[in-house]
Amino acid sequence: MSEVTSKWNWEITGQTSYWGASLQELWSYRHLLGALVKRDFLLRYQQTVLGPFWGLFPPIMTLVTYVLVFGKFVGIPTDTLPPVLFYFAGIILWSFFNNSFSGTSAIFRDNIHLFSKVYFPRLVMPASVISTHFSTFLIQLFLMLLLIAYYALFQGLSLPVSAHLLWFPVAVATTAALALGLGLLFSVITAKYRDMGHLVSLGVRLLMYVTPVIYPLSSVPEKVRWVVQLNPLTPLFEAFRLSLLGEGTLTGAQVLYSIGFAGVVLVVAMLLFNKQGDKLIDVV
Amino acid sequence: MAETVVQVENLSKLYRLGTIGTGSFRQDLQRLWNQHVLGKKDPFFVGAGQKDFSSGPGHIWALQDINFEVKRGEAIGIVGSNGSGKSTLLKIISRIVRPTTGRVRGKGKVSSLLEVGTGFNQELSGRENIYISGYLLGMSKAEVARKFDEIIAFSGIEQFIDTPVKRYSSGMYVRLAFAVAAHLEPDILIVDEVLAVGDADFQKKCLGKMHEVSQAEARTILFVSHNMQAVNNLCDKALWLDKGVMRAFDESSAVVNKYVASLQKHRLRQVWASPAEAPGNEWVRFKCVELIPHLDETSDIIDIRTPLTIRFRFWNLRQDVSLNLGVVLYSYSGDCIFDLLSPALQCQQGLVEGECTIPGNFLNDGSYYIMLTVAKDSSIPIYKFDECLAFEVEDYRGDISYYGKWCGAVRPKFPFRLEQKEHALLPG
Repeated sequence: MSEVTSKWNWEITGQTSYWGASLQELWSYRHLLGALVKRDFLLRYQQTVLGPFWGLFPPIMTLVTYVLVFGKFVGIPTDTLPPVLFYFAGIILWSFFNNSFSGTSAIFRDNIHLFSKVYFPRLVMPASVISTHFSTFLIQLFLMLLLIAYYALFQGLSLPVSAHLLWFPVAVATTAALALGLGLLFSVITAKYRDMGHLVSLGVRLLMYVTPVIYPLSSVPEKVRWVVQLNPLTPLFEAFRLSLLGEGTLTGAQVLYSIGFAGVVLVVAMLLFNKQGDKLIDVV
Repeated sequence: MAETVVQVENLSKLYRLGTIGTGSFRQDLQRLWNQHVLGKKDPFFVGAGQKDFSSGPGHIWALQDINFEVKRGEAIGIVGSNGSGKSTLLKIISRIVRPTTGRVRGKGKVSSLLEVGTGFNQELSGRENIYISGYLLGMSKAEVARKFDEIIAFSGIEQFIDTPVKRYSSGMYVRLAFAVAAHLEPDILIVDEVLAVGDADFQKKCLGKMHEVSQAEARTILFVSHNMQAVNNLCDKALWLDKGVMRAFDESSAVVNKYVASLQKHRLRQVWASPAEAPGNEWVRFKCVELIPHLDETSDIIDIRTPLTIRFRFWNLRQDVSLNLGVVLYSYSGDCIFDLLSPALQCQQGLVEGECTIPGNFLNDGSYYIMLTVAKDSSIPIYKFDECLAFEVEDYRGDISYYGKWCGAVRPKFPFRLEQKEHALLPG
């Protein structure tokens, strides 16, 4: 037994590691992830008549507003696409990004009562936030497909089914990675410096205007287009529309830029989250 | 010799006091500037080992240099007054907060119960909450599923299992929450004072479960409690923390003894040098009053078994009076327990001494104070010396596994006979 005695399963020291929980440990908490997503769903829609259909309500209201304000009054061109489809595609991807990012960046503030009472790999929480918003996104996507079908059948919208569909998983996955990465990064920063919380919500709102949500990239004047293109979300939104609606302005290099950007942010954020996460419990 | 499953080495934890957050950005910048640019020492954190740092403003050592080992299958009680670092220690061992210096190493799966109902959500049904709480506490899906019925049975709320927890009474809530916790099967279980909630009946059930768990093979328990009786009965060893410093780590009865003795607030002796400054009046002046507990060598606390002798001396200032002394014992709430009168004595001017003894196994546990009265000619009161002595009597129950408050003003040991008269099965 002396060999076993000298071996320890775990060790807790003042030093935190960049690597955090092992994959094996994360895997053992997969049911917790499922239960948390289920919890969020139940909490949101329990005791309501419409249930998950409430997930459709905000994007539809936003859509109506955009069609009226930007489409009718301001008159922003939407290429050759019907405004309803154009705006709705932007709205659902943006709300997925926005909700995932905001939810993840508030992870310490929202869960301190749990974090200070029980140990579990902290990454489970942001993962559950992203999963919850992803399922809402899927419901909204379903409505999007219905709208596309309506326009294709009754309005004569031509939808050439092409290899562009392959952009769809790329756009959604990269958006999720970017939201998670930025969210983790800001969760650490806002937990430490509360002031940043206010800046973040303002920043996200401004970010929407340099992202082609309500306008196509092609309508941006050449002179200022580089500003919009600097935003790693831009190629993702263009790719998303290209895959679903067949119109979008992008090059392979731009998509690679987005993927690279999201990848770097995600890795850095995860390392920082692992390294700082345990220490933050003392200061939140 | 059982193997060591938890080893705590030189563990210290430093907390910053005050508003953390605002201003810390400036401090962080200043720290970076000092450390990396100027190469100075960190002004906000001086390494551990410099114990005098604890006196510095804005910081507090919640734990200092804690060392101990826990063997497989041991139950360890952690005692200490509020703010002594007990919860911090448990949080570090549960991996919730990081120590400032030192380390903890261990073997096996750890589950911690730092509150009742970890992860419970008011809006969700009992069923949902069992799953979420179970997963959070580290149970696997199969484990929760296997124990599900048992958990519901233990909590006794079968019919409300699909009702949102917000509609539960607080008792039902606590029962369900504890039921989940009670069915954990970790190698090392960490429990923080969760038993302080709930009614006496529920506490009994919890302690019973704890007892069962601690008896089970190879289960190690770390247990914070203010219930000394429970620590004594459930734990093999106890750790006494005092303001973050380890005062003792030994057999639980020995540690509990020392800890309780340090808490007892007594006024066991008062002495006055001359009649001029002594309490009294123109009839009598007290020279000394004293309470002498008859402690045996194994214990230095006054518990319900300890005989107590009250001894006093007073200057009698008048010639040839007949005096009676009275010893009146009050409980802390002011109820008179007894009023004991001495026989009358024809006293001359000078010192008079008297004593009386309260036998062991007579008083119930609690706080008491004593008043001495002096009367003349066995009828006329001439002096009352209120609260001249104060003492506490600690509980002692031996093997009785009842943990609630023992009621009654006194707890005498009268002869009590109980026997089996007939041995036959009852019909029906």
